[in-house]
Amino acid sequence: MSESGDPMTSYSDTAVPERTVVDLAPAVHGENAAPEGPTVFETKDLAVYYGDFRAVREVNLTIRQHEITAFIGPSGCGKSTVLRCFDRMNDLIEGARVEGSLTYHGIDLYGPSVDPVEVRRRIGMVFQKPNPFPKSIYDNLAFGPKLGGIKKKAALDEIVENSLRRAALWDEVKGRLKASAMSLSGGQQQRLCIARCVAVEPEVILMDEPCSALDPIATARIEELMQQIKADYTIVIVTHNMQQAARVSDRTAFFTTEINSESDRRTGRLVEFDHTTKIFSNPSDERTEMYVTGRFG
Amino acid sequence: MTAAELPDESVGLDEPSDLRRTFHNQLDELRDRIAKLAARVTESIPRATEILLTQDLEGAELVVLADDEIDARSLELDEACYELLALQSPVASDLRRVVAAMRIIAEIERSADLTVNICKAARRIYGHQLDPRLRGIIQKMGTQAHTLFREATEAYLTDDAARAAALDDMDSYLDDLQREFVQAIFTSHTTEKIELQVAVQLAVVARFYERIGDHAVNIGSRVRFVVTGSVPEFDGAARYAERQAASDLE
Repeated sequence: MSESGDPMTSYSDTAVPERTVVDLAPAVHGENAAPEGPTVFETKDLAVYYGDFRAVREVNLTIRQHEITAFIGPSGCGKSTVLRCFDRMNDLIEGARVEGSLTYHGIDLYGPSVDPVEVRRRIGMVFQKPNPFPKSIYDNLAFGPKLGGIKKKAALDEIVENSLRRAALWDEVKGRLKASAMSLSGGQQQRLCIARCVAVEPEVILMDEPCSALDPIATARIEELMQQIKADYTIVIVTHNMQQAARVSDRTAFFTTEINSESDRRTGRLVEFDHTTKIFSNPSDERTEMYVTGRFG
Repeated sequence: MTAAELPDESVGLDEPSDLRRTFHNQLDELRDRIAKLAARVTESIPRATEILLTQDLEGAELVVLADDEIDARSLELDEACYELLALQSPVASDLRRVVAAMRIIAEIERSADLTVNICKAARRIYGHQLDPRLRGIIQKMGTQAHTLFREATEAYLTDDAARAAALDDMDSYLDDLQREFVQAIFTSHTTEKIELQVAVQLAVVARFYERIGDHAVNIGSRVRFVVTGSVPEFDGAARYAERQAASDLE
């Protein structure tokens, strides 16, 4: 030990030691962890191309049942692109294609015998901007079930009520089901979209920045709603709000962008996927640490 | 060009730029202020030893009075931590930094109290002569406690987990000195060199030095927590979990 100098002046030239990573809660994450839910989605080396452009690559994720999985990362990191793979929405974009594998309950989601329409019935999507049909509240919710062949009014009434209750909207709209959905506030419209999603009894709900157009109270309602319904659904949410990911999700995937110095094009890439507590208390990857603490933007 | 012919993307992020520079500067400033307080307490350890050995009643009074200011500074620093938690929502290493800071402040504040206790003990044994052996060990304990606290402060300022880890061994030496001192007190008392009242006061003083060493070790543990995420209670918790698992099987 050195006797030189006073502690206040000699600190600046000592190098910071390299970080080692220790799991803060091995009882939660390690061998003694609670049994994990069944796998809903699994991706192996998933890459998505728009024409020649590789938007995202090397995505290896396991989405588990009745968990909320959050995707975070800077713009252009591919998180929404990956989310859209889960209900094959990228099919609708010309030139988009997928490499690697993406399975849903062990079935290749991009297999030749898979019907994308059936996929989208089981896997619902809620978008950034609330997009109710310009119809009545009731019709918004009954639309999907009707397409699914349910004709009896009593059955439809029940679905409408149950869906609205699930989305914590029933008490606010039960007296005006025939009113236009467009008359609702933004937050109510978004909950209506969640209710509409729930009405067709999906297994998975994908949410692409569902709160970014909402005020804090409407946001809190949606976040609370997610907690209430996660026992019945598997939820994957893309969010720009890191605190939202920290608050609502069980697991978090951090994506980032890489720049190809030759072409100056950016490709997204999954950096780290782990329990949300780990990502926000002691992430394994330095890049995740830099991102969540705001040391990189 | 087809996709297969695309060159491998170069790995790496954009040039790092700190998006939360103000907040991170606040974290640095907080650490510097805490280290400054720790440095004050570090200085007061040899001072308390000198007061004890020279029976400097005036100096003892000054140390006792100065403790109020240490309390005030500790409170201010605690509040700065609350403010950062409330306003900045720190995560990952930033969060560990603030949480560790709050605990380190408490260790520093408590150590200052212990130097005050040493000075108060000096008042109680005023007028009694201590034999050279006792004086020698007191000097050694004072020096070792001082060194431990200085090292803990330096480790904190420099995020030096290795230096922090070395505190454990340094503390063992202080513990040995304490045991040696207690033996020396027995000897001095049985040979009637010191009265019982003085012997008890001295035993307590040895304990104060030993506790200052423990607080320095605790600061070191929190430094390791900041740098690595490891917590000192982990080993005990793991043993407990193991015992629980074993008893569940029975």
